[in-house]
Amino acid sequence: MHIPDGFVPLWQCAIYFAVAAPFILASLRWASKEMDELKVPLLATLAAGIFAIQAMNLPIPWGTSGHMVGAVMAAIILGSPWAGVLLLTLVLLVQGFVFADGGITTLGVNILNMGIISCFVGYYSYEGFKKLGTKIVAASFIGAWLGLFVSALVCAVELWLAGTFPLVEGLYFMGLYHAVIGVIGEGVITAIVIGVVLNVRPDILPSERKVSA
Amino acid sequence: MRKTLVFGIAIALLIAGLAPFLASSNPDGLESAAEKFSSAEGMDYVAFNSPMPDYAIEGMGRTGEVLAIMIGTLLMLVMAYGAGMILKKT
Repeated sequence: MHIPDGFVPLWQCAIYFAVAAPFILASLRWASKEMDELKVPLLATLAAGIFAIQAMNLPIPWGTSGHMVGAVMAAIILGSPWAGVLLLTLVLLVQGFVFADGGITTLGVNILNMGIISCFVGYYSYEGFKKLGTKIVAASFIGAWLGLFVSALVCAVELWLAGTFPLVEGLYFMGLYHAVIGVIGEGVITAIVIGVVLNVRPDILPSERKVSA
Repeated sequence: MRKTLVFGIAIALLIAGLAPFLASSNPDGLESAAEKFSSAEGMDYVAFNSPMPDYAIEGMGRTGEVLAIMIGTLLMLVMAYGAGMILKKT
């Protein structure tokens, strides 16, 4: 879902940078409060893992492919949506500048979609479903799927505003492809990782720490 | 904790090593959608010349792809660790 340079007019790119900036600053503020002996190495490991898995495109039907974003997984493990915003900002910076994956002028809009929107929608859906009694693994699947799907729809609207995509067909194809990518690339992998952490090191998960305390 | 992190980093590097062989080279969701619309042409605009575009090193084939993703993964590890340490102190 990385928007390349040239897909969004520069003046709109500037608006997206302005919208994303306060969220990025807030994620830095979160980190300066929350980072400790446990969370610094966790953050670094998650950054490496998210970068690697984003480089692995999984095939879906219609001659298309897609990969995990990972913001929701990071937010669940570190216990805050700000973790996902910070991590995706770092990952998108490296992808854009070093690997030409996603544009530079479109960094703001990409951080907004994959960092901020996917993470907040996904993390709070996860929290919501958990409150309704859904098991952690199932809630993480639903949250991860919703985060990716909703951010893809927002992305389609942004590209319509940019004059790049038609509205209805854009929503249809972005929605269709990412509904499938959301299941295999985002939901399943997030659920597996959270399931493994829950079984092997439940103390890492902030939600489990609170329960046992 | 150290074991868990080493395990996590090992998985990241394993994925990095396998990605060039396993990853689908089909266009991703956004590129596929863009191909349907003629209005989405004009992708040649480049704002910045990246050293390793498309997760590859020129003239190095598959080896270059493995190297590129490995370098990226280690770079992320160092960058996020550095950012975390700096933010921890502030």
